[in-house]
Parts: sequence; structure tokens; C-alpha cells
Amino acid sequence: MNIVVAIKHIPSIADDLPVKGNNVDFDSVDFVLNEFDEQSIEQAVLVKEATGGTVTVVGVDMIGELDGVLHLALAKGADKAVKITGDDPAADSHQQAKWLAEAIKGMSPNIVFAGVQASNDLDGQIGPMIAAHLDMPYIGGVSSVEVAGDTATVNKEFAGGFGAKYAVSLPMVVGVQASTKPPRYAPISKVRQVAQTATIEKVAPSGESSARLTMKKMAPPVVTGHAEMFTGSSKEVAAKIVDLLKSKGLA
Amino acid sequence: MLTTIERIVFVVLALTSVGFTIHGIKTIVDSVRKGRSAPEVKNIPASLVKAGIAVLFQRTIFRTRKILSTIHLGLFFGLITYAFVNLVDILEGFIPGFDLVYGGKHPAFPFLNSGIINTFNLIADVMSGALLFSVTVFLVRRFIVKDKQLTYRENILLNPKVKAGGQNKDSLIVGTFVILHVAARLMGQAFRLTDGADAFTPIASFLNGIFGASQTGVHVAWWVSLCWVLYILPYITRSKHTHFTVGPVNLGLAKQNPRGQLDPAVPAGVRATRTSPIPEPGAKFLHDLSWKRILDSYACVQCNRCQEVCPANFYGRPLSPSALEVNKRYLIKEATFGSHPERLLLPLTETVISAEAVWACTTCHACVSICPVGNEPMADIIDIRRRLIIDGAEIDSGVQNALQSLATNGNWMNKGKRLRGRWAKELEFPVKNASEEQVDYLWFVGDTASFDERVVPNTKIVARIFNEAGLDFGIMYQNESNAGNDVRRVGEEGLFEQLVEQNMGAFGKAQFKKIVTTDPHSFNTLKNEYPQFGGKFDVTHYTSVLVKLFDEGKLTVKNKLSNYQVTFHDPCYLGRYNGEFTAPRKLLEMVGVKFNEMPRNCETSFCCGAGGGQIWNGKVAPGERPAENRIKEALTTFDKNPSDKKLLFIVTCPKDMIMYSDAVKTTGKEGKIEVRDLIQLIAEAVGLEMPLEAEAVASAA
Repeated sequence: MNIVVAIKHIPSIADDLPVKGNNVDFDSVDFVLNEFDEQSIEQAVLVKEATGGTVTVVGVDMIGELDGVLHLALAKGADKAVKITGDDPAADSHQQAKWLAEAIKGMSPNIVFAGVQASNDLDGQIGPMIAAHLDMPYIGGVSSVEVAGDTATVNKEFAGGFGAKYAVSLPMVVGVQASTKPPRYAPISKVRQVAQTATIEKVAPSGESSARLTMKKMAPPVVTGHAEMFTGSSKEVAAKIVDLLKSKGLA
Repeated sequence: MLTTIERIVFVVLALTSVGFTIHGIKTIVDSVRKGRSAPEVKNIPASLVKAGIAVLFQRTIFRTRKILSTIHLGLFFGLITYAFVNLVDILEGFIPGFDLVYGGKHPAFPFLNSGIINTFNLIADVMSGALLFSVTVFLVRRFIVKDKQLTYRENILLNPKVKAGGQNKDSLIVGTFVILHVAARLMGQAFRLTDGADAFTPIASFLNGIFGASQTGVHVAWWVSLCWVLYILPYITRSKHTHFTVGPVNLGLAKQNPRGQLDPAVPAGVRATRTSPIPEPGAKFLHDLSWKRILDSYACVQCNRCQEVCPANFYGRPLSPSALEVNKRYLIKEATFGSHPERLLLPLTETVISAEAVWACTTCHACVSICPVGNEPMADIIDIRRRLIIDGAEIDSGVQNALQSLATNGNWMNKGKRLRGRWAKELEFPVKNASEEQVDYLWFVGDTASFDERVVPNTKIVARIFNEAGLDFGIMYQNESNAGNDVRRVGEEGLFEQLVEQNMGAFGKAQFKKIVTTDPHSFNTLKNEYPQFGGKFDVTHYTSVLVKLFDEGKLTVKNKLSNYQVTFHDPCYLGRYNGEFTAPRKLLEMVGVKFNEMPRNCETSFCCGAGGGQIWNGKVAPGERPAENRIKEALTTFDKNPSDKKLLFIVTCPKDMIMYSDAVKTTGKEGKIEVRDLIQLIAEAVGLEMPLEAEAVASAA
């Protein structure tokens, strides 16, 4: 079985996010793997371990530093790594989806995993758009996947703590919210050993997205005042809360 | 004395006994040799002599349990005496007319005058009494009083044979042996006294007064006494009493490198193979441990001193360093003398220590420091962690998050590298960037002191004090990474090496004369482990630098802090690991506080529970935490020295600041005792002027 994981390299928010012009200052920000993609890599490896097959991880190389992420994925159990030499840190999810779909097409995948969304745009579009480009069904918000023959049984999460089980026929694209088990830890010795021996396939980007977004303005959120902490006994605090609600016309 | 037939029977029995004993010794030697290599022990004869002297004076057992250790003297010197007594007894049996009583002389031994013989008789007689007394005390302690120190808690993994009372059986057999053997020998001496009392054998003379002399008695007693010896010699090689001989040897072969330097994860000689492209670090199976760790199990007699000082054990976690040792020995025993060699092929986490216990160790070194025979159970635990990590075992989610953040950000707090020096930019004066300009002191700040908002106010005070004293210092800002002390002790050797490389790269670009650290954990690995990676620096802790600044007159105490009554907690990695006990105490004396020492101090300081990666744990186990217990210890100490002063718990480690501030809250002791870093006292004593905002934060912390 051919299992493909489409990943996204995104600006890290561990630092304060620097802004330049109407976008992130890509020269002074670190890039990291999208958090949901960690889950989808784990889910892909779990499916492989259960049913056999190969896991190929593919991503757009935004700033020329994707190798580290791919090595990590290989150390966690992926078999092949492919990077699309996009080299455009501003490429949006529409463009990335197009490039990824073009690259994935030739891999004849049975199942494609993508993180359900990424923290840089939060639009959750990569998965659905890849599915559209590949003409496959898409199911998102997934928290576990089991494959048997041509069918996958997936758990999809809904708001309010609800969930539903779907049987989907392959091939398909899955938007992973959480993997069945938490992502495993890849020991650094293993990652380093992989880095020395693994080969990463390079693919030139192909296909232009018809719907690129135009960024009009970007600014850090304005900090407006601090929270006021009420102190005193619970009765005093309760009285203060009631007063506040009254003053706001809410009680 | 013996008839010819008796002689033949004895020689046959003796040869059989010696044969089984040699077989026992060979089995031990073979098992030990199967272990992986250990760092070379240098100058073995000298270390053995040194250990021999320590054993002769019984120095190492007196680290704790003074009364029981005194009684152990009776056993130790008694058994040494009896080694000679047994030899002489054999001579008495085989050489006609050779009889020691009444200062007896024999033509075959002209050099043995009656003075020597009488002295020997007196020693043997008195030591017989000492042996009987001490062994009785120990048997009563184990079987009647049922001292809890000798038991393991239910949740601790034990070999089934141990659980079924294997050690009690050992103790009973050897205890009975000692009593019957010594009693028989005393009776033998009593039966020899044909002419009444011998002043040099008071106990035997007393027995002679009751039982009289008897030639048959002499024979029976001789046989009972020596048959016991023939039985017990091979038995010892198959029991915990290997301790008698392996204990001192193990002490002589004990670790020579600094305490704070772990043995390599991959021992010398272990290489990559086709099945494992990465040379296998640490230990999964018994014989993955180094030969020294296997020898440890034979040295251990399960006195459980280690268990008593173990913070994880105190906390109710399923860890007992001594159980680890006894389980190792039983595993080998079952594989060699027993019928379970297949158990050697089970992972250590199933046979000697549970995975939960492995992850509970704080690496405080208390078990190693207290061990009278030089065992290092902590080293086993770290080796097991190393292999679990490389084998992809499930680890605590908090630990995993910390490791992942360390791999990407160089700190465990998921903070961006560029934020590391932010605190310095908030100061009233610039802090030099040691990566760009030369400094005398490169201050290695560490993660907690750089990022944790509960500790940052103290970090700023350290900077202000250094600045006030005119110290030429700088930090490396975003070029500093976590030093890796706890990463290494969690068992993530690869990540540790990566962090070392990053820091070595940063040190290479920086210009400095010395390194000063505020974090004892960083201090330990920079001082003891970086040299193995080519980083040979002069590393000091800030308390030593402060002492120097006071000595040089660059800092002066303007306000004596006589309104405080304080106690001091020795951080494991500053005190027990690196022997720095005096600098913090000297500073406390200088600032004029009333100081009370807690019962567990310096070498026996009790771990706060944060080390070895415990502070990263996502799950918090139930039960009284070590830090909470320590706060109670401090308050009890203050209760014994009542005053109306403000009570302070002084720390010199950022992790302690967090652990103990938290423990004061969870024990509901807020308002009674306050946790402060030593630097806060220094600031007050030297009259450091701080911006208003900073003062507010510092006193709230």
C-alpha cells in the first residue's frame, strides 16, 4: 500500500512573530513542522505498521530547510522523503496544495494524510484541495484510521464532543486532527544517523494555483490593558463580580 | 587429635567443599566477565589497599545508622578472627599434641611463645562473644522486631524468590551457622580445659565450669564447628553473603572519574552492526550492563541504606536501588545455579526494575554516595533509560515535549532562541554579549533562569550584583543552549551530544576566561562532562564568585540581616556531586542571618525531586513529594530553635526555587516560611538599589 503524507513547513511562533511589509519577515523567523502534521505522520506510520506498505512524506521546501523535518519523519518510520523545491516562503495553502497534488499524482497513493490545518493560516484547505486536484474523497477532523483491504474506517470528530465512524473506500485523502496514539519520540542519534544515510528526492514545483490569496495588511495584535485580578475572601470577590456585572448592565 | 579415619573423612569433605566453592566463584567471575566494558580502573593495587583500609576501619558503613554499624563491627572483626581460628583448629586436629589452651606450646611451632598464644586465645574468646552478640542482634532485628528497613514496599518489582523470602532464608542460614559454629568452637575449647579455668579464655572457662572437660566432647565440637565451615563456604558463593568478599573488592574497583561524569552510553568496544546501525547505547539485558554493574549485585547485602535515602522511594514510587541489585543477583543465580537461563533474555525492565521505577529516578546520587560497598545503582538506571529511549519506548508526554523542544529550540520551555536573553534587555544597564566582545566571566544562565518568570527576577538580581561589583561578565544570548545535564540523565544521549556541539560552537565564538553558572545542573555537566568533548573550561558556581567578590572588597555587607532565621538546602548537583558546601554557608554567615542546619545537609542533603528530568514529567504521582517533606524538615528545624525572626528557606538553584516555592504552597505553609534565592539576601545585605518594579517582583517571588 502506498501511504503519502503531505506536510507543511510553517513559521515558528515560539518567538515573537516578526512582521515586514504586509507579511511575516521570513528572513528572521525559524520554520517548524506544522503541529498537526506530526499527528498525521504518526497516523501514517501506525497504518503502515498495521497493514504494511510504504510511507512517503512530501512537503514544499519553503526556505531551504525542510531536510531536518524530513529526516525526523524518516527516523519515526517513514520510508521515503520528497521535497518540492518551492523556495517561496510566501506560498499560500492554495499554491502548496497544487504543487503537492502534482507531486503526489505520480506516487499512485492509496491513502494521503494531511494535517487537518496549520497555525499559519488556519484555513484547513491543503487536504481538501489536494483531494480535489487528485479527484479523491476527503474526510477531515479525523482522530483514528484503520485500513482493511480497500476500505478505511475512520473516526471523525465533531464539535461538542461528538464523533462518528465512517467507512471510506480507498483511495482517499484524510485530514488528521490527532493520531490514534500520541506521536512517538525520535531519538536524536537515530535522526542523525538517518541524516547521514538517507536520500531526499527533489521535485521541481509544477502547476500554478488559480486562486492565490493577496495579503493586504499584517500587524501584530494590539495589546489592550491587563486583566484586573480581584483579591480578598470569596465573599468579597463575589460582591466585586456582582458590582462589575451591574455596572456593565448585565445584572 | 584426629584419628586416621577422621583425617581421611575430613580431607574428602574439605576437598568437596573447596570444589563447590571454586565452582561458585567461577560462576560469579564468568557472569561478571560477560558484562560490557567499563571505564578503565587505574592503579588497581593502590585502590584496593585504600579500600582495604576503609573496610578495616569500617568507615563507609558509619555514614549512617551508627548503632547498627557498631554492631556490624562485631560481625566483621569476629569473622576475620574466625578465619584464623578455623586454621588453627585444623592444625589442632591434624598435628598430634598441638593444643592452644593454657598458652600451650608445640615443638613444631617454636616461634609461638605462650604470650602470643594467650593473646590469640583471648582475642578468639572475646570475639566469639562479640560474634554471638552481634549476630543475635541482627537476627532479632530481622525476625522478631521485623525492622522495616529490611523490607521492600509492595509496589517494587522483586524476583519471585526474593518475594518468597530468599534473603530471610540466607540470613537465617548464615545466622544459624555463626551461632552454632561459634558455640561449637567455644564448647570445644571448654572441653579441652582438663585443668580448670584458663584466664585467657574467660567464656570457655565459664562453660568448662558447667560442662567440665571431655575428650569425646572435643572431637564432637571440632567436627560440628568445622563441618559448618565446609558447608557455609560454597553456600556463601550462592547467597547475598558474597558481600563478605566482593564488598571490599567492589569498593576498591569503584568509580574513579568525577561523580558528575556519567560513563559513556556506548562502552568502548561496542560497534554498529547490520541489525543495529547505531551502536547500542545503555542496557536492555543484564549483560548489556558493564561488568562493574554486575559485580555490584554480588557486593550488595541489601542493607537498604540506599532505599532509605532515595527521594523516589520516599515519594512512594516503585523504586528501590537495593531491590535492583538483589534482583540482578537472583537473575544470574537462577540462570547459573537454577533452571531459568532463559530469563536472562528478558528485558531488565521485566526482571530487575520496572519501567515506572526507571523513570522515577531523580539522579540525585544519594544511593551511590551512601553505599558502603561502592555500588552505583543509579548508573544501571541511566543505562536502562538510554536503551529505552533509542528503542522508542513510550515516555512521559511531558518529558517528550521537553526533549522535542530541546531539539528544536535548545531549551525545554518551547521558547524561541531569540527570547533567551530578553531578561537582560530589560535591565537598567547593558549586559555584554560574550559572543561579540571579550569578557572575564561568561555567565552560562541556563533555561530556567532565562525563561521562567518565577526565577527571572533573581536572574536579574545576579546581573545587578555582578554589575555593582564591577565584574566583567557577559552572556551568550541566543547562542546559549541548554547544557544537557538532565537530557543526558534522562538517557537521550544523542540530544545531549547535539546540545554539547551547539554550546561548544558558541563557546568557540565567544571570548572569555572563566564560566560562571547560576544553575548547578549546568555547572555539573560543563565542569565534569564537557571536558570529554574537548570543552576544558574553568567553571564556577555564582556562590563561589560572590565569595571572591566579598573577599576582594568589591562587595561589602552594609546591612546585617539579623531579622532573618534561615536554613539552606544543598542542591544535589552543587553539593553531593561537586562538593561545594562551604561557599553558600560562608555567604550566609557574612550577611549576618541566624542559620540553622537541617538534619539532612551537605553530603546527605535530600533531593527536591526535580532532577534527572523529573521536573518535565507531565504526570504527577500521588503522595507526599520530596520537596514538601523538605519544607517540613526546615520548619521542624526552626521549631527546635524558636525565635520571632522571619523564617527563610534559602536555595541556590533555579529548579529549587520552583520546587520549594510550590511545596510551600501545597503544604499550606505560606506566611510561615518563604523560599528565597541566596542572591536576594546578598542584594539586601549589600544595599543594592533596584528599580521599584523589580523590587516588587522579587519580594513577591
